[in-house]
Amino acid sequence: MDPGRNGAASAIEVAELRKTYRGGVEAVKGISFDVARGEVFGLLGPNGAGKSTTIGMLTTTVTPTAGRAQVGGCDVVGDPIGARAASAVVFQDAVVDRSLTGRRNLQLHARLWGLAPDRIAARVDDVVSRFGLADLVDREVATYSGGQRRRLELARSLLSEPSVLFLDEPTVGLDPRIRHELLDVIAGLRTTVDMTIVLTTHYLDEAERLCDRVAIMHDGAIVALDRPRSLLTALGDEIVELTVDAPASLLLAFLRERSLTNDHAFAIGNTLTLPLRGVTTRDVFDALDVSDFRVVASSSRPPTLDDVYLDLTGGRLAA
Amino acid sequence: MTTITTPTIRAPRTRAPVRTRPSRSAAFRTLARRRFSLSAHTPREILVPLLTPILFADVIAPALAKTIPATAGIDYQSFLAVGTIALLVPLSCVLGGIGIIVDRHSGAQRDLLAAPTPRTMMVLGNLAVAVAVSMLQVVALVGASVARGATFDTAVSGWVWATGAVLGIAVLMHGLAEILAARMEKQEEYVGAAPPVALLPWFFAGSFFAITAMPWWLTWFARFLPLTHALALMRYGLVDPHGHGLHDIWGMSDPTVMAMLSLAVVAVSAVAVLALATRVFTRSAIG
Repeated sequence: MDPGRNGAASAIEVAELRKTYRGGVEAVKGISFDVARGEVFGLLGPNGAGKSTTIGMLTTTVTPTAGRAQVGGCDVVGDPIGARAASAVVFQDAVVDRSLTGRRNLQLHARLWGLAPDRIAARVDDVVSRFGLADLVDREVATYSGGQRRRLELARSLLSEPSVLFLDEPTVGLDPRIRHELLDVIAGLRTTVDMTIVLTTHYLDEAERLCDRVAIMHDGAIVALDRPRSLLTALGDEIVELTVDAPASLLLAFLRERSLTNDHAFAIGNTLTLPLRGVTTRDVFDALDVSDFRVVASSSRPPTLDDVYLDLTGGRLAA
Repeated sequence: MTTITTPTIRAPRTRAPVRTRPSRSAAFRTLARRRFSLSAHTPREILVPLLTPILFADVIAPALAKTIPATAGIDYQSFLAVGTIALLVPLSCVLGGIGIIVDRHSGAQRDLLAAPTPRTMMVLGNLAVAVAVSMLQVVALVGASVARGATFDTAVSGWVWATGAVLGIAVLMHGLAEILAARMEKQEEYVGAAPPVALLPWFFAGSFFAITAMPWWLTWFARFLPLTHALALMRYGLVDPHGHGLHDIWGMSDPTVMAMLSLAVVAVSAVAVLALATRVFTRSAIG
């Protein structure tokens, strides 16, 4: 395993990874990134951006067309069993044996991941208590709610104490309360367990809250990769959204002529999104007062990763 | 705009590893136990598959035996009991394939695919249960047949030939079930396609009559079916020490040589289909 840029060894190394499905659909177009040990890394993008295919290649359930990837020091093509031994996955959909009890699901996973037989019972009890599953674990999984099932899957993924944990859209389809509860659990992993986490999501708050760095994917490529804070900083401290009675591109051109905007501003329909750097809301409205544009609606807020994505691709992250 | 930087990451804590790579045999045992838990986790799921062989042995075979007392010198009830094995084993193995589709759509298949074990073990784990269920059904059928008056040879060598044939046909039919399940997207499609695969060979393999009772061209066709060979082998081992069924296939005089040839046909077919099934499963399960 190569040492990372911070002296820490990389848990994941991806170089020019590419996947073209039969029929010519190019799902991932030569992406490269490293994830350091202990890092929480987010793959962010809308449906179809290539996140799940990337996770599929790293978990060896999708065969790369080209490029190279290592997980836990093992090449996903050359030593797929080694790569799988180092990792565990929580899938987007429920992937459990519903007619078995939660405990049986956990035991089977523990055996397949090579836990010593004499340690399985204690390890299962440990994750069961950590994830508050004690009252459920001897029931058939078919009787669990969505949130309970997801907690079971998360507990299962931690049984083998993997070096790398892949979470593929872990909160999708859950109600807000359970979603936040799970986010707390995942956030808790950072402080209680030493492992590298790769998280795919199209929920921006999850990425901002959990990830050390995020890679924003669009159309199979990584269009930005940085800390969430750094990506947001490029857009300034405040974003003003102006809806006018004319195409917003005209307003954008008007403000550019007066040096009141920068390259990060973008227009969609009649709405202009305007990151403020070196100018104030007052400056913008003063300019509008002497123009022919009529402001239909206006708002101001801190920038989000959605703005970053919009700036980079012209589309919104959240579907 | 693409900005690529790497922030400082907190130093990882060290931990004692709790796992090793599981051995193939450990993975196989675990996967077989899992499949068994899924297929037979209630008494009903164990008993219902036994109902068909028992009804065949206790109701249909004795009734038919009243109409046809003997064929090729063999008591027809015993002849038919063996013929029923050739119906039950394929049907049981092929219908078991539905579980593979359930696994893919709403089971833990993807988690198993991400496990540090060769994926071949998933097919072999399923196979072990298919073989075990088949054997259980055969034992139930033989027991019920004996209770109704059928007679079987008790020589160990005869049971070895018959067991080899059952094993071979179970492996072959489970392999076909894996291939079919990999090719079919929905359970409904599978349920439509399974009966012809499981039943069609049975009509030509000489289950209820000698294959020479069919028109000559169907007799020739039957000689190419592994099920015909398996059935002749089972009869040779259990009810037909002179090997009439084997003679109908090979036309030779030495029953042992013919039995070995038929066993080879069954074994080679089973291994070939299983190898193909493993390949098809592995290729279809991953993108």
